[in-house]
Amino acid sequence: MDEPRAEKGVITAMRGEKYKYLSNRLLIVGAAGTILGAGLLLLLGMASVALDGALLGWVIAGGGVFALILWTVAVWIARPYYRMEKSSRLFLEGYITSNLSGGGETYLTPASRLMEERLQRMMDSSELLKLNKRQAQYLALQNQINPHFLYNTLESIRSEALIAGLTEVSDMTEALAGFFRYTISKVENLVSVEEELQNCQTYFKIQQYRFGERVQLTIECDSGEREEIYHCRLPKLTMQPILENSIIHGTECKVGVGHLKIRLERTGTRLLIRISDDGVGMDEKTLANMNESLQKSARILSSQESETKGGIALINVNNRIHLLFGEEYGLHVYSMPGVGTDVEISLPVVTSDREIANKEALG
Amino acid sequence: MREEMLRMERVTYINQGITGLDNFSMTIWAGEILGLVPVNNAGMEALFTLLKQNLPLHYGYIYYHEKLINEWSNPKGGTNRISIIRTQSSLAKDLTVADNIFVLRAGFRKWFMQPEVLRRQLLPFMEEIKVDIPADAYVDELSVFEKFVVELLKAVIAGNRLIVLESISTFVSDSELVKLHEILRFYAKRGISFLYITVHFEETRQFCDRTALMEDGHILKYFDTGDSTPENIFLPCVEDYDRWVRMQLDVSEESKGEKAAFEIKSLYHGNLRNLNVRVNAGECVVVQDTDNCALRDFLSLLREEKPRSGQILVGGRAVKNVRDRRIAIIQELPVETMIFQSMSYLDNLCFNMDHRFKKVWFSKGIRKSIVSEYGALLGEDVFYKRIGDLTTRQKYDLVYTRILLQNPGVVFCVQPFKKADVSIRSHIWELLERFLKKGIAVVILAVNLADSLALADRLIRIQDGSVQEIYNKEDFVKLPINTPWLYLYREKYANGKRQ
Repeated sequence: MDEPRAEKGVITAMRGEKYKYLSNRLLIVGAAGTILGAGLLLLLGMASVALDGALLGWVIAGGGVFALILWTVAVWIARPYYRMEKSSRLFLEGYITSNLSGGGETYLTPASRLMEERLQRMMDSSELLKLNKRQAQYLALQNQINPHFLYNTLESIRSEALIAGLTEVSDMTEALAGFFRYTISKVENLVSVEEELQNCQTYFKIQQYRFGERVQLTIECDSGEREEIYHCRLPKLTMQPILENSIIHGTECKVGVGHLKIRLERTGTRLLIRISDDGVGMDEKTLANMNESLQKSARILSSQESETKGGIALINVNNRIHLLFGEEYGLHVYSMPGVGTDVEISLPVVTSDREIANKEALG
Repeated sequence: MREEMLRMERVTYINQGITGLDNFSMTIWAGEILGLVPVNNAGMEALFTLLKQNLPLHYGYIYYHEKLINEWSNPKGGTNRISIIRTQSSLAKDLTVADNIFVLRAGFRKWFMQPEVLRRQLLPFMEEIKVDIPADAYVDELSVFEKFVVELLKAVIAGNRLIVLESISTFVSDSELVKLHEILRFYAKRGISFLYITVHFEETRQFCDRTALMEDGHILKYFDTGDSTPENIFLPCVEDYDRWVRMQLDVSEESKGEKAAFEIKSLYHGNLRNLNVRVNAGECVVVQDTDNCALRDFLSLLREEKPRSGQILVGGRAVKNVRDRRIAIIQELPVETMIFQSMSYLDNLCFNMDHRFKKVWFSKGIRKSIVSEYGALLGEDVFYKRIGDLTTRQKYDLVYTRILLQNPGVVFCVQPFKKADVSIRSHIWELLERFLKKGIAVVILAVNLADSLALADRLIRIQDGSVQEIYNKEDFVKLPINTPWLYLYREKYANGKRQ
């Protein structure tokens, strides 16, 4: 019941913005053109009778008015229309575009604006946040485990292991508890790079119990910038799912030692994180599909195919970044078979949660 | 904090329905030399276009100096202050060095030129890179290397912070390349960034800070210079290419003839001094001009002039005039320079056959038998196509088959792999192989080894106009580290023994 009323309110509020709608602009330009044209014809008729010598002046004036109308049509109507058209086409191709009106402040009609906003809300809230939640709470949701029950059990195992003198088991349990605590209990959506790196190291420690010396992790960061970079904020579970992918799909299948590297760099406006492995890599077609999925995230929302295929972790991380910071940030994958894979994460430099424009997405 | 000079973020560029760049992401840092190795030419022209101009994108974002200069939803238009130096010089030939650098610069407002002032202004720039090119010299008089330096100076003085260099190693010699690298390093330290495009991974690996491998309009992978990467990094994407080089190495030397197909004895001409070269029938020799001063004389000797002294022999008989059809020359970029656009495919093919069949231009029978004999090799349809409609591969076929029909004793190929992408390069190899199988000697004239070496039985290096070093196939392992497929030669001839 509330929603139609709210939309009615929006329509009322939109009345003050009538020049933002192409439908209104068309009416205005059409009316202005008709009035000016009729006026000119009338004056021209009068002038040809009364002022024969001034005909050239009237022709110039008429040409000027005509040029003005053409310019108005081009800038005020045609350009926004083409932007809208391109934006809609890209949306249909699968790109998640922040604004179907093409980045401008122009809409076709008030109703189409409402429809676009509704669509945007639906995408943000239902589908994308569903993915967000699934990523952030994937263990709790999938297994329906009470986190406190899990921690207590792990602590009990750890105590028993310590009493039995099994230090490796106790360390492993401690790492696992730490990993779950960060993944499930820490409710904030944005964390510092330092916290995220720590979680990556914890996760890697757990994996090392399985793989031993077969996997090695190095973290590279310019020592002069370390402090600044470590204080930057980023969405929780941005790096760990990618590191997990690198181990599972990259180095696990490789014969010999797999080297993993996390490299952090900062520019004036961006934080760049590159997670690399020297594992099996992927062929050109898989790479192209992967990057296309990252670029055209909306296609994933409308189909269920990727739910079962690999790479969903990367797409989830990418969607959260798009949602929080905008389309100009996100993930890109580079890979060659037999050589390895790099995942580059591009984020804005954010040092406080207040700097986020789309706070609603933080949940 | 690092400064990004250029960032192309997931750029897709479609022009007239053809996708040039496809999800292309690239970052160049300030003061970085980024090597770009295109496996094929797809997307290269689109990349150059987008670096120069902010044209509407299908999708993506482009940043220069960390400022958004182009985005898909809001095309900004305009041009960027990025210089692109390509194999074809963009300097005005009839103007002086100083005029090209200062007067043709965007934003130059003066009405009256003062050559003395321009000379003075240019001097410190020349001194800091330790190059001595006269400011008053006309560009037309400069060597290829000097022209390149002038273009570079023009870009630097114009204040462009990103300079793109395309395949420069194909037109400068080894020693000039070393000097050039020093100059690029000097400017990189000053914060100027370079995109160094070359087809050889070994070259970028040795000289650039990072290397990006590009295929079908997108970047496959970046390699840091410090990364330990396998030597045969190219294997996955150019498997056929490597396999071919391996096969070539296995070709037994017994298959080469002992009879001299071509000989130069005690030759003096221009910069050439006491040159002695012998090439056997079916043998491939690469002549590398290490300082880029003998190649021009060598070519003029074959094309138009008589030597000051010395002898040139083909099949044991002296060459009396330059029209001797026992010698064939395949010029640089033959598809652009050796095909007559206004003539039919068949006329182009028969162009050098008159010494074999006097009536080739009138006899329908001869021409018909050529079509039937070579149709299987070249494709039946090509004979009915207009020259402009031929693919690059078909054009190469045309030029090389014309030489095959000429049936010379020796073929001189000037930088045959210049500007050819990976698939075309493999095809050129096959075409050159046809000559060798027919017993025709092949002499590849190059300033840079690049791909030529893979086919060679011998390498002759010329310096200051005379033979400096001769390498047989088994000695190729001793060549500098940036030699293509060095790992294959090492594999084959390790410890001086054949494997």
